[in-house]
Amino acid sequence: MIVAEGKPVEKILEMLAPYKKVLIAGCRGCVTVCLTGGEKEVGILASQIRMARSKDGNPIEILEQTEERQCDAEYNAKFLENVGKVDAIVSLACGIGIQYLGEKYPLTPIYPGVNTLMLGANIDVGRWEERCFACGDCVLDKTGGICPIARCSKSLLNGPCGGSQFGKCEVSAPVKEDIPCGWQLIYDRLSALGQLDKMSEIIPAKNWLRAKGPRTYVREDLTLDRS
Amino acid sequence: MTKQITNIRIGIYLCDCDGKVSKKVDLNSVKVAIQSKAEFEYIRAVEVACTKAEREQIVAEIDKYSLNRLLVAGCSDPFIVRQFLQLADDKGINRYNVEFVDLSAAESVGAAVSAVDTALNRLHLRAEVGYEELAVIPDVLVIGAGSEAAAAAKAIAKNQPVVQIDNVGTRVIGLDGFPGAFTVILLENGQTVKKDFGAIVLALGAVPQYDKSKYGGVELGADVLSLSQFINAGKDYAGKKVGFALGKADEDSLLSFAAVLKAALDLKEKGASEVSIIYEDMKICADGLEQEYERARKKGVNFLKYTGEFQITRFASGIAFMYREPFLADPAKIVADYIVLAEDFVPAAGTLELAEIFDIRTGPGGFFQKDNVHSLPIRSNRAGIFFVGSCHGPIHGTDLYNEIEAVLAEVSAFAKGKVSVPSLQPKVEAEKCAVCLTCYRCCPHHAIEIVHGEEYNNMYFSAARMNPLACQRCGVCAAECPGKAIQLPLYSDQEILFEVQQPARIVAYACENSGFLASEFAKTLDPELQKDLQIVEVPCSGKIDIIYLLKALENGADGVMLCVCHKENCKFVWGNDRAEQRKVRAQQILNQVGLGERIDFVHVAANQGNQFNTAVKAMAEKIRQSGTNPGKVVK
Ligand code: SF4
Ligand code: SF4
Ligand code: SF4
Ligand code: SF4
Repeated sequence: MIVAEGKPVEKILEMLAPYKKVLIAGCRGCVTVCLTGGEKEVGILASQIRMARSKDGNPIEILEQTEERQCDAEYNAKFLENVGKVDAIVSLACGIGIQYLGEKYPLTPIYPGVNTLMLGANIDVGRWEERCFACGDCVLDKTGGICPIARCSKSLLNGPCGGSQFGKCEVSAPVKEDIPCGWQLIYDRLSALGQLDKMSEIIPAKNWLRAKGPRTYVREDLTLDRS
Repeated sequence: MTKQITNIRIGIYLCDCDGKVSKKVDLNSVKVAIQSKAEFEYIRAVEVACTKAEREQIVAEIDKYSLNRLLVAGCSDPFIVRQFLQLADDKGINRYNVEFVDLSAAESVGAAVSAVDTALNRLHLRAEVGYEELAVIPDVLVIGAGSEAAAAAKAIAKNQPVVQIDNVGTRVIGLDGFPGAFTVILLENGQTVKKDFGAIVLALGAVPQYDKSKYGGVELGADVLSLSQFINAGKDYAGKKVGFALGKADEDSLLSFAAVLKAALDLKEKGASEVSIIYEDMKICADGLEQEYERARKKGVNFLKYTGEFQITRFASGIAFMYREPFLADPAKIVADYIVLAEDFVPAAGTLELAEIFDIRTGPGGFFQKDNVHSLPIRSNRAGIFFVGSCHGPIHGTDLYNEIEAVLAEVSAFAKGKVSVPSLQPKVEAEKCAVCLTCYRCCPHHAIEIVHGEEYNNMYFSAARMNPLACQRCGVCAAECPGKAIQLPLYSDQEILFEVQQPARIVAYACENSGFLASEFAKTLDPELQKDLQIVEVPCSGKIDIIYLLKALENGADGVMLCVCHKENCKFVWGNDRAEQRKVRAQQILNQVGLGERIDFVHVAANQGNQFNTAVKAMAEKIRQSGTNPGKVVK
């Protein structure tokens, strides 16, 4: 799932400074699941902005609407009526949704209400962890099902580096919270699987071109001729 | 199921309560004002609503005007509440569609009208509450091998089928389903089998464990026995001297004390030459224990009080306790052939595993059950799963029988194979459900499942569903849902936000188990303080959505309070903790945009009216310092 976090509200207030009437657009996909951009957060942000602007003597009118997915044009069509009523849109969808909703309504400025963070798993309520970088050339077969790109701070293909200590990555605190060393995790898993010999196989350099955008994915067998 | 009812016909009765109300407020003016503005079917002012004649007339009016909801404004005497609920039951009006308004506190016609109007709106917004007939499995599973489990199983078996397993030979490895229809997955002779039960009783017991560090490192041996070794050995001690030591281990229960008394009497009967018990504090506060103690004294058992530490020393003539008597200067000594030492009790093997499999909480010492008064005596955080005996902390004698009685009262509800429950569990609007599992994970009572089917109108064809028998109606799920897909009947967002559309200066969201009761008491102590205060009742502080806090402020309140029960004492496990986390975030939201300190979180118990008022004063002072809420949005 895509994981995003709310943008600091002072940034959003700055973006909205010129406007008197805006739409906050939520998404029922990943950002609802990661508790950042569903109907509830739309309501909270709207209330916060209304109060902030009232306080500054510059009241703002805010419409609230949440639809199934902002990364699909058909759902974005449902915002039509409200977009017609406002000067600007704040989207709480991930970066994909924000852009895609913006493309649908190119004459209305759209602003991000979130920072899109990662592809992660929801460990428990209120905690998310990165698992994949979308590198386009998966090596999980060689690494016991644990991603060295996303989970090793240096994305080493042949780790660990010399900084791995007691299972922790050398980039851990005070830089970030304790990070498990990705290559220790790989070693432990391979050893549990009886595949430790894979540790001594050299993984050749990846084709990083596949990780570089702009990327497009087309399946000729599926594309429709709409002419 | 809950359905929005379209044909709402409300009857309003304004009761003067024999002249009490009209001393301050003219009821006819209230009536006229209501008539001019509100929507309802019928209204009448009555002198005393709780007479037989009135009752008959109201019954006739219900028929004549086809009333299906009632609003009774007058005093809030429990008698009139009971009478109208009974009348509603008799007339087939759902009792959840009867609202009461207390006019005895109203100081003006305006105040009375607004109170009636608010209640009237509540009645209009209220979804119809239906009843569900549910089939339940009468069979009860008792887990445990000891005497406690056997006693529980025997008692339950008088009413309904029981299966008892020891959790050793046949072991629980999984649990599905809800009260009335649990599916327990068992490992039986290496095979996985599934069996269905309506309720589960855990009676794993506790096990004694000798801890030498409590006795200065003394190892057990031929003449130094732990209490359980002594009891299990059952040897012949005729002509011998035996000394027992209490108070160093198992300090908090009566179990060891009771066992030692019984053993001492037994020894005396079987001809032991001398029986001594050294103790630090006498623990006989349970039925029958004091009599046992008196009997033991009469039979010549020595009771010797010590203070501080004692030593165990070997002599040629035997083994001895060297101890200090509280009132004597010189150390005292008891020489015996055998000494017996009390042990601690620890949870039986499998306790932790079962807690995990059943998603039930453990508490002090790793025993089952959180240290929370609402769970006493036998409840877990899940409906349909109960504790009996020492598996939730060492207990003794009559306590066990009281617990078994309590369990019987609970499990017998399923004995007939069906139950009828009001459909009051939260309802999920599938179109809004993102199947994010937040509600499932946050429910303190494991009452939620994810169901699949064509009828769930979203891209997953799935939605959360709350089980009517497992759900305890805290509303935590509704307040956590990121999609606003969950509504708790009688406390929907619409109903609650309606109340704070034009809020008082201070809005206090108050849990009906603590803060709300405290506020009722507080009213009588300092009526003056109520002027700027509005209480909004919620079933648990865990229902206080962050949006409730913000909306009250957005609509013009200067301050918001969350009045919750004491820590570790929430009826719904962590409802108050969730509320506190939301308070912290809501205050951050205010700080980010410079709106000042405007939210207070207060722990008050039901009887703490004074503390409630003190908290209200503190809130008033806080908003005096922060000034009028500049974030109020003028519509
Ligand atoms: S190797 Fe690439 S595709 Fe595979 S999990 Fe890691 S980042 Fe994702
Ligand atoms: S310590 Fe481990 S995770 Fe950190 S950079 Fe080195 S190999 Fe990667
Ligand atoms: S919290 Fe809301 S959106 Fe998430 S599963 Fe529950 S009902 Fe669905
Ligand atoms: S109301 Fe409380 S007990 Fe019921 S499903 Fe929601 S969280 Fe669980």
